[in-house]
Amino acid sequence: MSEEVDISVEFAGIRLANPVFTASGTSGYADELSDFMDVSSLGGFITKSITVNPRKGNATPRIVETDSGMLNAIGWANIGLDAFIEEKLAALEKLSCAVFVNIAGETINEYVAVAERLAGERAIAGLELNISCPNVEVGGISFGTDPEQVAEVTSAVKKVAGDKVLMVKLAPAVTNVSVIAQVAVDSGADALSLINTFTAMVIDIETRKPILANRTGGLSGPAIKPIAVYLVNKVYNEVTKSLGIPILGMGGIRTASDAIEFIIAGASAVAVGTASFIDPGCSVKIIDGIKEYCVSNNISNIKELVGSLEAEQNAAN
Amino acid sequence: MLEKSSAVKRGVFSATVCSNKQIRERFYRLVLEFSGAGAEAFAKIGAGQFAQLDLSDTALPPVETIPDDLADVAERKILLRRPFSFADVTTKGNKTSVDILYCVVGPATLRMTTLSARESVSVLGPLGNGFWVPDGKKTALLVSGGMGTGPLQHLAKILTADFPDINVIAFAGARSAEALPFERQLDEISQQLGFSLPEFAKYGVESLVATDDGSAGFAGPVTDCISEWLGSSKSAGKSMVIYSCGPEAMLARVAEIAREKNIDCQVSMERRMACGISLCQSCAVECKTAGSNDTFYKLCCEDGPVFDSAEVVF
Repeated sequence: MSEEVDISVEFAGIRLANPVFTASGTSGYADELSDFMDVSSLGGFITKSITVNPRKGNATPRIVETDSGMLNAIGWANIGLDAFIEEKLAALEKLSCAVFVNIAGETINEYVAVAERLAGERAIAGLELNISCPNVEVGGISFGTDPEQVAEVTSAVKKVAGDKVLMVKLAPAVTNVSVIAQVAVDSGADALSLINTFTAMVIDIETRKPILANRTGGLSGPAIKPIAVYLVNKVYNEVTKSLGIPILGMGGIRTASDAIEFIIAGASAVAVGTASFIDPGCSVKIIDGIKEYCVSNNISNIKELVGSLEAEQNAAN
Repeated sequence: MLEKSSAVKRGVFSATVCSNKQIRERFYRLVLEFSGAGAEAFAKIGAGQFAQLDLSDTALPPVETIPDDLADVAERKILLRRPFSFADVTTKGNKTSVDILYCVVGPATLRMTTLSARESVSVLGPLGNGFWVPDGKKTALLVSGGMGTGPLQHLAKILTADFPDINVIAFAGARSAEALPFERQLDEISQQLGFSLPEFAKYGVESLVATDDGSAGFAGPVTDCISEWLGSSKSAGKSMVIYSCGPEAMLARVAEIAREKNIDCQVSMERRMACGISLCQSCAVECKTAGSNDTFYKLCCEDGPVFDSAEVVF
């Protein structure tokens, strides 16, 4: 019966076998996951942030658990562009799912340098532009909160991205996320991913100091899911629906039901983040669960579900 | 030479609780049993390797039994797994059982106390690299602080079984006699004989106890105890190896003593970690290479948790 359900997705011109990605920064360079799942069974895979030069990352503690969530402040720890290309691309090229590279930088030139080098790599389907990281001193979220800078960095990267899909990852804590989303799309974004983590803090009341060495970190996990669903729905209604631009929805997804909420809200695909830390193979279960939901709800093509939120509130409540 | 043992067949396995015994006020010893693929994966793990336990669905103990200092944190819902190393690993037929020595310090270990026989627990592992035995060693000193004794008990078992030519001596430190995480109280006679801790004596391993307040064994930090012992030892040097696990300040001092005496030293590090499989990059340990001032981060989960003490920046 499930074979009759089509959960493949057309995502900014790329055909995905299913709508489930693993989110950047929660799934390494893919080889780390291979003991727990077949990474090729995903719809898409997104690498951790890649910068021009290698980065050590922040001092520890880099994480702290919160109620139904966690804060992280890793600080773009990565092996750098050259080592990424030399050591990681060959394995990524063997994956049959769509591979996106999350790119980051402290200056527009750094974003452009990474994008330019990766634009010619066959292993890569797209670039995810990280303009929403709350954990670095320079760059990151500062690019994603000011519409002018969003326009500048997005259009600069678009110019060198060649045929790669350009997906812009949005910060949630802005006055109006739709304004930023609109600017990104107007500047050349082929897709949007939202949301990144919320800047947050946990304090040790004995020492009266923040627990994280970076003072603040990005809040992720189930705690942020309802806000993420709302923001996806808002951007879908106000920006992307009329333009046919796909949204990769994320924020606290642990189960197929969570993923389906995002799809109903307007996401064409979803990404699993923090949940992979607890169950590194959970994305596979989520793919299966989406299929089962479609079967039991007589949905023959997942497209029918995207943005299918009813206008009226749930009468049962 | 015993090579670094690393996780080869890791996965998420279901383990069954055999027992969960309170050994002192805050200290427990949990025995889990694996069958099938889990038994195979955990059968040959090295001392110092670890696993991540999912305790998010484990029940809280009755409110009236929760210590006052944990009353607030008990309210917290936990999300992430928690890392534990093993005090013993035994195989019987096609089953493997592992002992976890733990101390109740927060919401997860508080829940852990309610695990009872036949309950199942999700275990992700085995993870990381354990202690290794360099060539040519004649003496191994196992130096622990508090709960750090766990993986060193497992190491004592492996060393005495597989390296009969190595003389093994355990040093166990804690703040006070009450804070020693061992099953039996120490009696004076066994202390004088030097086989004071049954956890080590059962492997024929001599053990010395140190308490900061002098309430048991050597009066003072375990690092002073080992310093004094090395001072009177004729064999200190290249034929010796120190294995250490405990609070980081203690490890730093042990590393310093080892450097001064030109003794190889391995330390088991601890960091806050989310995943244990290098996805989250949170458990960074600052390291350096000999002759360079440049530092870099290694991951406690994947590169450690056991490190050569000479490479760690304390």
